[in-house]
Amino acid sequence: MNRPGAALTERILAESARLASACTACGECVKACPMPAWLPLPPATPEATAQGLRAVLLGQEPNAEGLAFVAACTRSGECSAACPEKLDVAFMLRLATMRVRGAVGEAPRVPVKDDKGWVSRVKAFARMTMTEQEQREWT
Amino acid sequence: MDLTFWFGCNMTRHGEIVRLTMRLLEAVGISAEASGGPATCCGSPKEPSAAINAGMAARTVAAFNSRATPQVATWCPSCHMNMQDFMAPATPTNFETLHITEVLHAKRDLLRPLLTHAVPARVLLHQHIGFDGRVPVNRMVADLLALIPGMTVLEQKPLPGHMCFGFQSIPGALEKAQRETLAQMAAVQADTLCTIFHSCHREGVNLERNNRVQVKNWVHLLAEAAGWDHHDDYKAWRNGGAVPETAQQAAGDAVFEKLVAPELAKAPLA
Repeated sequence: MNRPGAALTERILAESARLASACTACGECVKACPMPAWLPLPPATPEATAQGLRAVLLGQEPNAEGLAFVAACTRSGECSAACPEKLDVAFMLRLATMRVRGAVGEAPRVPVKDDKGWVSRVKAFARMTMTEQEQREWT
Repeated sequence: MDLTFWFGCNMTRHGEIVRLTMRLLEAVGISAEASGGPATCCGSPKEPSAAINAGMAARTVAAFNSRATPQVATWCPSCHMNMQDFMAPATPTNFETLHITEVLHAKRDLLRPLLTHAVPARVLLHQHIGFDGRVPVNRMVADLLALIPGMTVLEQKPLPGHMCFGFQSIPGALEKAQRETLAQMAAVQADTLCTIFHSCHREGVNLERNNRVQVKNWVHLLAEAAGWDHHDDYKAWRNGGAVPETAQQAAGDAVFEKLVAPELAKAPLA
């Protein structure tokens, strides 16, 4: 792994461990999340769901409800305000999202989409909506 | 140079918004250079691999460090959060990161005299809760729109997420968000939907096809009030407008057919 990659992996693992050890899995973050109203999540207590989030951060096998909670995150941030321990739960979910997608070398736990045409598409739109000078100067 | 305007990757669909934003910055006395596209990616599209993600992110920070502008102003909330949460902690920066709305909001007294053209519209401001906790974009854009003569600004009950992009991985969520948005517009008799971020604009523009509404970005509305000519090509193309042959050729015919045309042909969800 390149040096920036190793540094990012180290940060993801270190922050995951720090936040997981501070989390009490009380479930207040789950109760505050707006997403359960937007999709069917497996029935579970908020505490069990939060345990699943903690498990992801500890590199352990998460329960289904915790994994679904991580996968449903759209980065609303309501969880952080609800945490009685004042943890940045939105950041915990961001770390967890990266982990379940295999960012640090663990087997992915959710389907990972890889849009192989993304760079070509973004560049094509630049050529369509920007002048040649703008493309040279801006992209 | 005072500032680098980091518009991100997916804003290449909206060259006119980048152009107009640069003009707004110039108008309030900020010398700026723009930067975006894959060459200055935040790395998040390659999130499943820390190695690739971090490599892209480090190159972007190095590029901005070498520009040596004291500030980098983001457009994209994902880029902004990545910079603060992962990029800057990994690679020391010699610039302050802030959001473009903060920059223009701080200079709104200089914007006010430029906005002399009335824009008679009832505008629903499309809002999300996510990024607003970090940078109060919802309030700041509402404040900027309030400078426009003749306009009535109505605020949408904020949707979950940080922008509409987040709904794409959840079956039915984007359609539900758009239907709720249209219902709120109808309830307050709004005729125009004002988007804050590119992803919401990209997904929202073709609401014009089946509904008697207009979809504009906040930068479009400021430009309109300033009397600046502009055209939202992406919106026209998503709503069935012919893509000029020159634009197709610029994209590259094969790339256009394979990667661009399918996106432009996507049917409206609501």
